[in-house]
Amino acid sequence: MRTVEGRASGVRFVPGQPDMWAFVLFEALVFTSYFTVYVIRRTQSPDLFLQSQAHLDLRVGVFNTLVLLLSSWSVARCVHAAREGSFRAALADAYLTMLFGFVFLASKVREWAAAIAQGFSFTTDEFFSFYYFLTAIHFLHLLIGFVVLGVAVHQSRSFAGRSPELVETCATYWHTIDFLWVLIFALLYVMR
Amino acid sequence: MNRQIEKRLIVVLLALSAITLAQLAVGSLGEQDALAPNAAITSSAIVIALIKVRVIIREFMEVRHAPVLLCRLTDLWVAVTGVSLLGSYFVGMALSTP
Repeated sequence: MRTVEGRASGVRFVPGQPDMWAFVLFEALVFTSYFTVYVIRRTQSPDLFLQSQAHLDLRVGVFNTLVLLLSSWSVARCVHAAREGSFRAALADAYLTMLFGFVFLASKVREWAAAIAQGFSFTTDEFFSFYYFLTAIHFLHLLIGFVVLGVAVHQSRSFAGRSPELVETCATYWHTIDFLWVLIFALLYVMR
Repeated sequence: MNRQIEKRLIVVLLALSAITLAQLAVGSLGEQDALAPNAAITSSAIVIALIKVRVIIREFMEVRHAPVLLCRLTDLWVAVTGVSLLGSYFVGMALSTP
């Protein structure tokens, strides 16, 4: 059931369009394969990976994770506001999500710039190859996320044909960026 | 927005943030041995991350209200990722140990 009443009455529903969920599950599996290859390669040269990992700042990783968690929270608020017909509130939450997205983006670029300035590039060693590959592919998904958030903003601004379901679909994509980062953070910054 | 929903979203955000800060503590454990592999830190990092992912999927993405098939599929992905990462780590470390 796709109505607000249906969702309020406890009937089970797919949040957003099912096609987006198929895409999310596919992307999640692709990232699982990247992560698995990373862990396998890491166990083959644990000393090299640990020495290179020591050059990353764990606090920056924590900051980036908190920023993306905040963005997930604000986009979840956006969905609930749109579902209740409060499109002004939904618009404010969509803009807030974009703001958190930009903070993450700026922080990530700053971290890359600092690493490159210290002489750690894609070709430095295998750890940094994985570091740049995983964070860059995640960054690319984040950039696509801004386009997706643009759709949510458009839905909240336009007075004709507003669709809470489309806002849910956009939010589903944005949350995916968040949970993939949670795993990247654990694997690149925390694991030993 | 419905107060109950607003409250729930805040509680979830605070819980996830607290777990993330706990990861900062886990990551800083035994800093003097930062250049030595540590299975306990690695296992807890992966398990904590997967718990956070599941909370995001169920709470923020509202999969707890979704049809059973979607709940099972997302749980299956979390389980496959956990088994794959932990399995790769422990098997890989065992094989690489001389």
